Amino acid sequence: MALARRIGRSRHRLILLVLTAVSLLTLDLNGFGPLGTAQGFVRDVLHPVTEVAGVVASPFSDAWNGVFNYDGLEAENQELDARIMELEADEIRNQADRQAIERLLLASDLPYVQNLETKVAAVVRGAVGNFDSDVITIDLGHRDGLEPGMAVVTGAGLVGRVDRVDATTSTVQLISDSNLIVGVRLVATDEVGLGNAVGDTFEINQGLDWPEDGDLGKLPPVGSGVVTSSFSRYPAEIPVGWVTSASSPDGGLSLEVRVELANSVDDLGFVSVILSSGLDQVPLPEIVVPDTIVPPGIDPDDIFIDGETPESDDGG
Amino acid sequence: MIPLKLATVAIVAVVIQLTLFVEVRVAGVAPELLAMLGVLLAFYAGIERGPVLAFGAGLLWDVYLPTPLGVAAATFAIVAFLVASLEEGLFHDSRSQLAVIVGLGSVASVVGYALIGEVVGQRGLIDVEMLRVAVIVGLINATLTPVLAPVVRWALVEGRR
Repeated sequence: MALARRIGRSRHRLILLVLTAVSLLTLDLNGFGPLGTAQGFVRDVLHPVTEVAGVVASPFSDAWNGVFNYDGLEAENQELDARIMELEADEIRNQADRQAIERLLLASDLPYVQNLETKVAAVVRGAVGNFDSDVITIDLGHRDGLEPGMAVVTGAGLVGRVDRVDATTSTVQLISDSNLIVGVRLVATDEVGLGNAVGDTFEINQGLDWPEDGDLGKLPPVGSGVVTSSFSRYPAEIPVGWVTSASSPDGGLSLEVRVELANSVDDLGFVSVILSSGLDQVPLPEIVVPDTIVPPGIDPDDIFIDGETPESDDGG
Repeated sequence: MIPLKLATVAIVAVVIQLTLFVEVRVAGVAPELLAMLGVLLAFYAGIERGPVLAFGAGLLWDVYLPTPLGVAAATFAIVAFLVASLEEGLFHDSRSQLAVIVGLGSVASVVGYALIGEVVGQRGLIDVEMLRVAVIVGLINATLTPVLAPVVRWALVEGRR
């Protein structure tokens, strides 16, 4: 009897806990400011502790990876060896160290964001749980001018967007996250659409139409570029990737384009944050006024648009 | 003194999860220390205090997770209630039983987290990969039980023993 009473009391307590959780969920989903501030405060307070603990833990992590990820490291090593040889060959060909340095600088430059202010950030850590593999934490926060929604890039192109901003750190939602939808433009055909990661690929699956006349020549060619559109939440012309295939999922109505991402988001060390936020950077569409050709012999003042009345009528 | 000790254990668990277990993974899966803490708290603190303490542990972990605040807290509280109910009615304390309970409780926590997360709008949490993650988390957490269990027992005892 005593056990049953205790379980009964605890059941009521559990219901209260679940209701509390639901209330917190609702407030958080609706962007209740104080709740976000409180969470940010906890993360900021614990950040120095995690930094020190990270330094202490790194020898163990390295040893673990050395023992259990040896095959992966060996493959990476071979890849790096090949890359070094390739670079050495380039260097010999050019016969000038200075030129090699200039090339390196050019490669690390971000030519597509020349007019926008950027900040370089180091990746503090990758996924913390088992269900957030598409999130990284960087060492810049709102003290550095970061705001949610800012684009995160490397020299190769778009990496993701700033999601949660604390005082000194921020989390970045990577482009490999299927929840991140990006407005893109196909460079070859100038069409715009919306795309997101689907499994291991990136697909543009909204906004594109299959050519009305069925002319396959109007499809975006394989290997053509995909960049952010000026109507996206990010600055325009940031490289996203290359077209790998184009197909119609519904028998010739809409167009679905698969894209190979320009960036590998698996092992990022440094990224750049474009310090322009959200929709502010989206230019308004230009209002196009069509030219009117007035046939010879007709006075333009005599032409009235539908619904408009001549001035003489107003005057009675 | 007990609340201070419990808070310390929870914070240390979060810090280890955020540092060591970001890199140290088994088949790409990290242990879920906070889920394990929730189950152990339910086991040792009983059905009245266990779910409340597990809720607190989940809330702390929620601060770092991409899902909205409350998902892990609700999951851990429910799992803690189930574990404590079973423990009160059926089980007796033994090391092997405790490891099994922690393993199963951890699997339930991972599955519950994915289910509630999906309900509140997080896409891609429920799939075959989720089951693989849950099973591996259960096995790792069961293996780690002899390490964390004495710490939780210590935190729940008043004064020095």
